[in-house]
Amino acid sequence: MDHKTIKDKLTFVKKDKLIISIIGIAVFLLMGFISYSYMIPEWKSYQSEFKELVEEKFGPERAATVPTGLQQVYVKELNKADRCITCHQGVEWKGLENAPEPFRTHPKEILEKHPVNKFACTTCHGGQGFATDMHDAHGLIKDWEEPVLGRDLGEFYVMSDKKALMQMNCNSCHRYDKSTKGAGYINRAKELVNEKGCRACHVINGRGGTVGPDLTYEGMKSPEQFNYERIKGFHSEFSWQIAHFKNPKESVPETVMPNFNFSSADAQALAMLVMSWKKEHIPIEYIPGHNFRDIPTEEEKEKEERMLKGPGAFFVKKNCFVCHSVSTLGIDAAAQIGPDLAMAVEDVQSRFGRTLDDFLEKPTGTMEVVLSTMITLTPEERKETIEKLRHAYDIYQQQKKDAQLAKGK
Amino acid sequence: MMKLFRKSKQDQQALSDTSKSETRRTFLHKLGLGGMLAGLAGFGFQSFRSLIPNVLYEPPMKFKIGHPSTLADGMTFLEDKRLYIFKEGKSFYAISGSCTHLGCTVKYTKLNQPKHVEIDGQKKDIPFEFQCPCHGSKFYSDGTNYAGPAPKPLQWYKLEVAPDDGQLVVNMKDEVEQNFRLTV
Amino acid sequence: MPITETLKRNYNKLTWTWKPDSDKEAGDAIVKNMLLHWFPNKISKRSLSWNYSFYLGTISFVLFLILTLTGVVLMFLYVPSVERAYSSVKDIEYVISFGWLLRGMHRIAAHLMVAVVFLHMIRVFLTGAYKNGSAVGANRPLNWIIGLVLFVATLLLSFTGYLLPWDQLAYWAITVGTNIASAAPVVGEWIRFLLLGGNTIDQGALIRFYVLHVFFLPVLVLLLFSWHMWRVRKDGGLAIVDHEVLEQKAEKVAPVKSKTYSLLGITNGTTVHVQNTMVDEEKNTVPSSPHLMRRVWLVTAATFVVVVLLTLVFRAPLETAANPSVTPNPAKAPWYFLWLQEIVTITTVQIGSFTINGALIGGVLLPGLLLVLAAWWPYRDKSSINAVGVWFADERRRQNMVFLGIVLLVLLFTVIGTFLRGPYWNFYWPWESWPEMPIKF
Repeated sequence: MDHKTIKDKLTFVKKDKLIISIIGIAVFLLMGFISYSYMIPEWKSYQSEFKELVEEKFGPERAATVPTGLQQVYVKELNKADRCITCHQGVEWKGLENAPEPFRTHPKEILEKHPVNKFACTTCHGGQGFATDMHDAHGLIKDWEEPVLGRDLGEFYVMSDKKALMQMNCNSCHRYDKSTKGAGYINRAKELVNEKGCRACHVINGRGGTVGPDLTYEGMKSPEQFNYERIKGFHSEFSWQIAHFKNPKESVPETVMPNFNFSSADAQALAMLVMSWKKEHIPIEYIPGHNFRDIPTEEEKEKEERMLKGPGAFFVKKNCFVCHSVSTLGIDAAAQIGPDLAMAVEDVQSRFGRTLDDFLEKPTGTMEVVLSTMITLTPEERKETIEKLRHAYDIYQQQKKDAQLAKGK
Repeated sequence: MMKLFRKSKQDQQALSDTSKSETRRTFLHKLGLGGMLAGLAGFGFQSFRSLIPNVLYEPPMKFKIGHPSTLADGMTFLEDKRLYIFKEGKSFYAISGSCTHLGCTVKYTKLNQPKHVEIDGQKKDIPFEFQCPCHGSKFYSDGTNYAGPAPKPLQWYKLEVAPDDGQLVVNMKDEVEQNFRLTV
Repeated sequence: MPITETLKRNYNKLTWTWKPDSDKEAGDAIVKNMLLHWFPNKISKRSLSWNYSFYLGTISFVLFLILTLTGVVLMFLYVPSVERAYSSVKDIEYVISFGWLLRGMHRIAAHLMVAVVFLHMIRVFLTGAYKNGSAVGANRPLNWIIGLVLFVATLLLSFTGYLLPWDQLAYWAITVGTNIASAAPVVGEWIRFLLLGGNTIDQGALIRFYVLHVFFLPVLVLLLFSWHMWRVRKDGGLAIVDHEVLEQKAEKVAPVKSKTYSLLGITNGTTVHVQNTMVDEEKNTVPSSPHLMRRVWLVTAATFVVVVLLTLVFRAPLETAANPSVTPNPAKAPWYFLWLQEIVTITTVQIGSFTINGALIGGVLLPGLLLVLAAWWPYRDKSSINAVGVWFADERRRQNMVFLGIVLLVLLFTVIGTFLRGPYWNFYWPWESWPEMPIKF
């Protein structure tokens, strides 16, 4: 190998080694940068601020209980995994009512009925629950169609109640309520729907005319479905709806919908209402009033009242009614296994050859088992039983007499 | 001679320059290589770290199970929570259905004839017991293990009454003693 | 034996720097060393040069390696179900430590791989490297075809991965893409049905794309890649070596030495001949280890750095969750298919009352024709051996012009489709802003 070749080789070797060294340092710096930015996410600074706040207000002991790291509310029923509480740590704390956001306590009254672990956050507030930084979480970004329906958006749309937009989400579950506490805009809009007779032309929830389009699922339409050519200002579905309610002909010239001269607030309320009409999969237990769906008929109600509060209530309380009717006291057996106790006084005599008092004292057969294990009677209760059964028998005999009299006539 | 001397000095100078740049280069090379290895190790660690979850999709450990008055007398088994709830008149308690050996769900077995046993010096009537299908561990009605490989008694969980709507609340994070009773 | 000693020995085995004590050991080492079947023990300096190969093949393999490593980790984190796919990707972005990095690197490396494999193909064509040189048993045209299949497999890998996030971008890109495939005559509809496991893009399509993406296609690429590399060695190395031989013959130095390597225990009977074409080994070659190893290591690390840097600059997008009832405006196929999408908009032909869907001509026949043409090209290329391994050989000027023309057209349409097409597929110059698309609030 001559001298020149070695030199040749050395130059490219040196160059390669140099480049590798530089790349090596680059790899190290890149990983360092990534690791560093991993150590300082936005939420960590909020968490340490919150800890300081708690320490200042409640002392270091309670500050130690503040959880650290990413936090999540997971509600399987609603398919929600909201990380809001990673920064909004004070939501369920008492005593931070006046703390600055994001640490403020959630208004208590509404949270009692809608606990965080059952409803999560974005169900009512909107926003992107997946996200862990403010910008993405509050959702005023491309690619997230449900931003936080809060003050900022309310201000943007010049609402007089800046936080009213959130009421749209109330109406997901409270859709069939006539009026919902705290949802003023939605309530007003529901009133207007009746007042102005929207159903004359539109089907809403399955009822109404067909002059105009069915509005039952108006909120499902995507923003692209509307024509914005005549809409001044910002192009969003919400502003289209408001403009259309204010003056239908201006946004859709060929429409036959009359101009109702709605005020701005009314138009906003109606826009909110129609946009809240979505097809959503809400578990039945989230729909208010669901537990009153199995409504008893008048007859059933009357019977229940009679059984629980009538003269035979004692037999219901002691569970005798499971097997025995006491017809003259208005007690119907659930499963008619045993004989009617209205005739017990003579029945016991004829079946067992013993008096009622005697039989109850020392029962035989099935009743021996029942009265020793399932239904136990104290001496006072036994006395009461006998009294009541005698009374029932009296009525029975009276009824029999009356029936004979009627027959004789 | 002078000339020669100077020349050799220059040579020496040049030589030491080369060796200096040589050391500098070796140092840079080592630094680069070390940096790369550290960086790649860091990347390996990051990949591994991603497999340790930061948030969990698990059902809550504290949950409501309905109003005390609607609960049936005696035993109620909550299948999805693997939990036995007992109602004795006005008092309530909850025993875990998860075997303390390897976590299979133990089965509630009513005894034809109540057993009379002594547990920790106390005489007790045992009307039923729990049996584990996996390795045959057996537990008395209070959860005390007496046969099979189970190393300790079944866990008892705290019951509370929810302050807002009066429902029974089970707190599976809070273990309690066997004499625990919630009286409503 | 102390563990460090074992480690060192194994490392040495891998890097081939230890000195064999006996002939047997030396022979064993050749047989057992996997890398030696990829790399020759000596490599010409010209093969190592940057401006011949640009290391595009190496880079594509490194990208494949990065994709495999990040992909395996992502497989632990991603859930291929319609209900969970989107939210699991959201989790990867937001709550999984370094999840964004893994996903970002996977995405960047995938895009780069499509581009680099394409560039590699251009390089091979322009240097006439699909032509046989002087090596015995060379079959470079075959390796060119393997390369074409690898290119298609790369496209499919990227395409199948596109659906997995289950967002609007994914859903509609796959809608457009699979509908192009369905325009193929006779079997098109059937292929789409089979690919989607139904008529709509739903759970069936997701799981099929997933299995193709994480198993079948990677395995296919790996097998073809091994074959591709093995052929490179059988064909006498990079084509530039053949050019060197010619040059040296012209210099009229010592005659070519021919060497025959037998693969010892691996094959029986017929031995594999590797023609050593080096005229002057001493002068023109260097040992592969450490020089080629070092170079490959350099390229690997550089590719890694570039991928990480690009990941930091371009964050992987994730649009709204897939919604079959709302088509985003515009809806585009993945960028490497946009030249096709651009072409299909103008190739719908009407002959009398008979309409041929543009997807058939532009989406199926045209790319099919191009592929067939490419596969057949080496067999019709009758240029002399002087044009092997040379950039822009005069002899092949016309071919190169035609090839470059096609490539430029494809690139032009890709650029138009990617950057200049807005809502309703209208044309917008870069300085023209697209009309604002309405949003909910």
